[in-house]
Amino acid sequence: MRKLLHFCVFLGTLLSGFSTIAQDHTVTGKVTSSEDGTPLVGVSIQVKGTSQGVNSNATGEYRISVPNNATLVFSFVGMDRKEVAVGNQTVINVELGTDNQQLSEVVVTGFGSQIKRDVTGNIAKVDSKKLENIPSPSFEAALQGNAAGVQITQGNGKLGQGISVRVRGTSSISASSQPLYVVDGVPINTQNLSSNSAPTNPISDLNPQDIESLEILKDASAGAIYGARAANGVVLITTKRGKSGKTNVNAGFQYGFSKPTRLRDYMNASEWLSYFKVAAENTGSTNSLNALITRSAAGTEAGKNTYDWQRAAFQDAPFSQTDLNISGGNEKTKFYVSGQYLDQKGILIKNSLERFSGRINLDHKANNWLSIGMNMSLARTLQNRVSNDNAFSTPMQAVAIPPITPLIDPRTGLVSGTPPGVSANFPIYYNPFISANYSDYKTLVFRNISNVYGQIDFSKSLSFRSELGVDLLNQNENSYYGTQTVRNVTGAANGLGESRYSQVMNYNTNNYFSYNKVLGDVHSLTATLGMSYQETRVDGNFVEGQQFPSNAYRQIASAADITGGSSTRSQFSFVSYFLRANYKLADKYLVGLSGRVDGSSRFGNNSKYGFFPAISGGWILSEESFLQNSNALSFLKLRASYGLTGNAEIGNFPALGLWSSSGYAGVAGQSPDQLRNSNLKWENTTQTDIGIDYGILNNRINGEIDYYVKNTNALLLTVNVPGTSGYPDQVRNVGRMRNQGFEFTLNSQNLVGAFKWSTSINISNNKNRVREIDKSPSGDPVPIIGGFDQVNRAYPGQPLGAFYMLEYAGVDRTNGDALYYRNDTEGDRSTTNDPNEARRVFVGSPLPTWFGGITNNFSYAGFDLSILFNGQFGNKVYMAGGKFEMASGDYYDNHLASELDYWTPENPNASSPQPRLFGANGTAVSSRFLSDASYVRLRNVSFGYTLPQNLVNRIKVSRVRIYALAQNLLTFTKYKGWDPEVSTDANTGNIAAGQDFYSAPQAKTLTVGLQIGF
Amino acid sequence: MKKTKFSYILLTAVALVVSSCGNKLDLKPYQSIDQDAALTTSKDVEAALIGAYDALGEYYVWGGQIQMSADLLSASSELQWRGTFVDPGQFYDKKILVNNAYSANIWLNSYATINICNNVLANLDKVEAAKKNRIQGEALFIRGSVYFELVRLFAKTWGDGDNTANPGVPLVLSPTSEINNGSYVKRNSVAEVYAKVLEDLTTAETLLPDAATTSTSGKMTGQATKWAAASILSRVYLMQQNYTAARDAANRVIQSNRYALNQEYESSFNLVNMNSSENIFSTQVTSQDGDNSLRTFYSIQSRGDIYVTQSHINEYEAGDERLNLFTQDGEDFFTDKFSTIYSNVPVVRLAEMYLTRAEANFRLNSTTGATPLADLNLIRNRVGLSNLTSGTLSLNAILKERKLELMFEGHLLHDLKRTRRSIGSAAYNANNLVFPIPQRETDVNSSLVQNPGYN
Repeated sequence: MRKLLHFCVFLGTLLSGFSTIAQDHTVTGKVTSSEDGTPLVGVSIQVKGTSQGVNSNATGEYRISVPNNATLVFSFVGMDRKEVAVGNQTVINVELGTDNQQLSEVVVTGFGSQIKRDVTGNIAKVDSKKLENIPSPSFEAALQGNAAGVQITQGNGKLGQGISVRVRGTSSISASSQPLYVVDGVPINTQNLSSNSAPTNPISDLNPQDIESLEILKDASAGAIYGARAANGVVLITTKRGKSGKTNVNAGFQYGFSKPTRLRDYMNASEWLSYFKVAAENTGSTNSLNALITRSAAGTEAGKNTYDWQRAAFQDAPFSQTDLNISGGNEKTKFYVSGQYLDQKGILIKNSLERFSGRINLDHKANNWLSIGMNMSLARTLQNRVSNDNAFSTPMQAVAIPPITPLIDPRTGLVSGTPPGVSANFPIYYNPFISANYSDYKTLVFRNISNVYGQIDFSKSLSFRSELGVDLLNQNENSYYGTQTVRNVTGAANGLGESRYSQVMNYNTNNYFSYNKVLGDVHSLTATLGMSYQETRVDGNFVEGQQFPSNAYRQIASAADITGGSSTRSQFSFVSYFLRANYKLADKYLVGLSGRVDGSSRFGNNSKYGFFPAISGGWILSEESFLQNSNALSFLKLRASYGLTGNAEIGNFPALGLWSSSGYAGVAGQSPDQLRNSNLKWENTTQTDIGIDYGILNNRINGEIDYYVKNTNALLLTVNVPGTSGYPDQVRNVGRMRNQGFEFTLNSQNLVGAFKWSTSINISNNKNRVREIDKSPSGDPVPIIGGFDQVNRAYPGQPLGAFYMLEYAGVDRTNGDALYYRNDTEGDRSTTNDPNEARRVFVGSPLPTWFGGITNNFSYAGFDLSILFNGQFGNKVYMAGGKFEMASGDYYDNHLASELDYWTPENPNASSPQPRLFGANGTAVSSRFLSDASYVRLRNVSFGYTLPQNLVNRIKVSRVRIYALAQNLLTFTKYKGWDPEVSTDANTGNIAAGQDFYSAPQAKTLTVGLQIGF
Repeated sequence: MKKTKFSYILLTAVALVVSSCGNKLDLKPYQSIDQDAALTTSKDVEAALIGAYDALGEYYVWGGQIQMSADLLSASSELQWRGTFVDPGQFYDKKILVNNAYSANIWLNSYATINICNNVLANLDKVEAAKKNRIQGEALFIRGSVYFELVRLFAKTWGDGDNTANPGVPLVLSPTSEINNGSYVKRNSVAEVYAKVLEDLTTAETLLPDAATTSTSGKMTGQATKWAAASILSRVYLMQQNYTAARDAANRVIQSNRYALNQEYESSFNLVNMNSSENIFSTQVTSQDGDNSLRTFYSIQSRGDIYVTQSHINEYEAGDERLNLFTQDGEDFFTDKFSTIYSNVPVVRLAEMYLTRAEANFRLNSTTGATPLADLNLIRNRVGLSNLTSGTLSLNAILKERKLELMFEGHLLHDLKRTRRSIGSAAYNANNLVFPIPQRETDVNSSLVQNPGYN
């Protein structure tokens, strides 16, 4: 395969006609707006069919060298595109009118770009406007509700957490389903390096304000240029660049605060007391309860005061962000320099994030055939983190502590439970606020994403670009657990410290030819051919120490006993060769072909290389004579594509049978830890996409409609094997899955003129079905399970992660028992109070079937208002904490107030079973703890005022805008937990979807800000 | 323009594009090695044996959960589970669900341990001749012991019905290198499993040395000896009510004179980086490696989830020095047998051998090694209690002494079952006193028959 490609490269070279070197002459001119005659700054002026181009400067003027018979293309976001044949002219002045359709917009496609009109794949673009002012450290937030087919789930209200991004559904089970992120050509590391199970988000090291545009490659024809890495979609991130002309200085300041979107209603002290008295009487456990009450009340009168442990988990959460960027340049050299300082406290106590970031982007045109440049970004992110959701030390778990327990122990004046306490088992659970006071968990990350490039224009049609990029991530995690945390941290009796250092060195080179040729007036060919190589190495060091002189010493240097240490290394590489060609006939018929060969170290010798081809076509019907004169329909394009992409995000050596070290009592030992599977191969996805781009009423209304079918084959799965083999599981290619759905976007300029109103709507539907799972010899599909209590399943005919559990049948009216449907046969509605006698059934899906967003923008006389609603529908969430807090008094945890409607002989129709202390009445894993998590949310509201030009000119600035923003202001949902937008950080993965376990609610954030331009 | 120059540049560019990076794809893991390279020398096989000890000492095996789950299942009025972990709570409630994660992990980790032993046993031909007996003996000791634990927990008690018909656990006796049809095993009968356990342990006893030899590095402590194998053998025979063989095995251990009772009862527990003269076998814990999950749940220094009630305390006679190993907290008590962090988990102590010999002699009306009364009084005197007389000596007295002496060490459930005593309202052979075959196993392997009482 590789040999064939090499041959293709040479052939391409021969055909490229590099011997014709251009003969140039110079054209100058000025670009102005046809509406008011003002000069347009930054208009792209390109020689048609080439990559040669300049931008207009601050006075709208430009100067460009053109070959004979050239045509200049003038384009500018939001304006009409204009083509002018140069002929003998040396001065060309152009007026551009406002464009409603954005068809002339340039879309980045990976190793190149295309104008939107000519795109045959499906690429969603989100521009910098949407990223402005979002009070979030990470840009994914801006995608939420703004791009059809892209579903964003922010795990919970902790800062700097992993964010799940799904492009057209989850297309894998075990392998990652996150898209590939490419920043200015460099595929960046998104591997979570967190040492607790809660993932961090390496994307949050990018300053969203530096981003010019985000392109999401959704279909196979767009993605195939990224071959084995594109099955989950590709997010191309293009950073801002300087433009020639006046030096622009922009400064921004934003300040605000956050609070939780919602608090839940728990029992107060007297409710808790009376509820548990009943629960204890019902099981004859009153003595146990009384002892617990005495202990928990800590000498106070139990029930007199309610201590609100939930509220204590949250803190005031200020947010501030300062931005400065300077950009400009001349025709030869352009620059963009920026800096940001962001300081945010989380809504959970002890959670904060602070980031400094800086960027320099430079472009230099050395002569008429060579351009060089560089992008360099540096970020320092410091996080104070809290434990994952499944830890007593995480603030949210404080809600379990009975409300009769004082927050501060009156006997000691210290946070309840701080040793040396009166009782080691007081409060009933370890109090997370002890950890807040006496421990630290800091993660410090330095991130450098940089690249350099050189581009040679051999002729007007052939150019070569070489890029070399690095993504260097250094992470230091330092934690210290003081002596007071010993009840929670084994070994912390005299302090325990950990220091963990990780370095990810990721380097990447892309080398590719671009070819553009217009033949006559009817044929246009563009092609890209090249290779890329990526190598990533992850190094880690770790040391743990105990026995500190006091909590004042927190570095391992002060530990008397070094109790753990290790250093690890792992690496992977990709070699890829790619080719793409687009052909356009008569400006209406479009054909695209692409292919990529990927090799990776991650696979066994039997399948090191994979080939990923795609084909696409487009037909611009509105150019045809029969539609050209239609008044209503101004633009119509049919698109179709089909292609193959792959997924290789499955860890580095899943195919090998491995042994590793397992020492014992200081003696070296080894043991097997991974089963061999030498036939392991790429997981691949074929995708068919059919779409329409439409424009109505001179494109005042425009949008896209797409239907897609995405079939994933050879699913990579960690499959349970019989434990009698000595192994729990193995990675295999075992099944097929399908995502199909449609996407609908509509942009409408409802009102134009002085009062402007525009609406953007996107609606997406996705139906995910596991189609086939390999059968074990028993004839049943190999069980693939995940999530808390193993309730999620991958099962043929069901959506991925479908909830498989007992079906709760409510309360037995005669005796208050919790009942379950037996489900012995399908439709069996008989019930039992013994969970071991009932069978599990599928009771819902964690995946939404519908999601979307609506944005309305208004502007009038300097005022602007933008309102975004988004929502998702059809998914359920398993509240894994339910068996503790809706547990019918099984244990002393504070219960939700909704449990107060419990069964008694006098209240036989109650919603909750009879409370029974230690009685396990209704605590089995069942649909009792499953809740509909559909929601509609007022995601963003921004209201701004731009000061009039004549006013700001007087104070020697060019632009002043003041604004206010609100995020997550309102939520409409039936979800019974804190927040329907949830995914616990303690149990993550594609199968373990729709899980809530004491997960912090999302933050509601209000900010005000100021932008000044000089 | 400069055509030649461009041509050179172009050739360089082409070279960049076609440059072969294929060899860059041959990356190997750094912390692991291929299974084919793992067992090639004698030292490799010895290292695998150490790996088997490591697995044996893990959380869910003899690192504590095999013992603790049995003790929770045996608890009625003398212990209380008050922790939040759902799975141990199900043992205490005797309402084990088939998806109980602790029993599933006991199963998984036990079989992982067995697989390592099978790897060692299948590669004995690579072992230096001088070490061969010892290495084979240690691997057989571990495998036999783990199978014994599994068959006690996951199958009907020996003698409860037909041992040859009652399903035990699957016997897997060769290493796994891949998953194939042979991996979907059936349960062997209780009788077959006991037979294999006896074979493994009997062979181990003949092969193993009198005393633990130092390992290659010289640091190893706590390896199995001939006497460790004999100790577990005595347990197996006791479970089978084969009192003669149980007595003889215990007697062999005692008369080896390699071990001695500690003067103080407490000296056998909370041992860090050492084993006392009374400890015949312990799993080793260091600050860097190994688990003592008994400490995690029993000790008030840790989670303190298992409360000891006054009614257990009332079982001890006044002046019993074993009471010194309790901490009182209000009305509740916690055992201090496992309170020191990083302390070894005692698996077999010499005291058990005296009690086994006493019980067997008493039942057989024999005096092999010593009279039952002498053995029992040895145990009683050590904790400051007065002698029983032949008039007050009874089977119940021996069994009660055994319970108090070995409490929290994983014996009570099996002692109750073999003596056919009830636990609370549950008869010794009640379905809910046997673990279910883990759902993850029956889900994967339909050849496995579930135990009665579970779906």
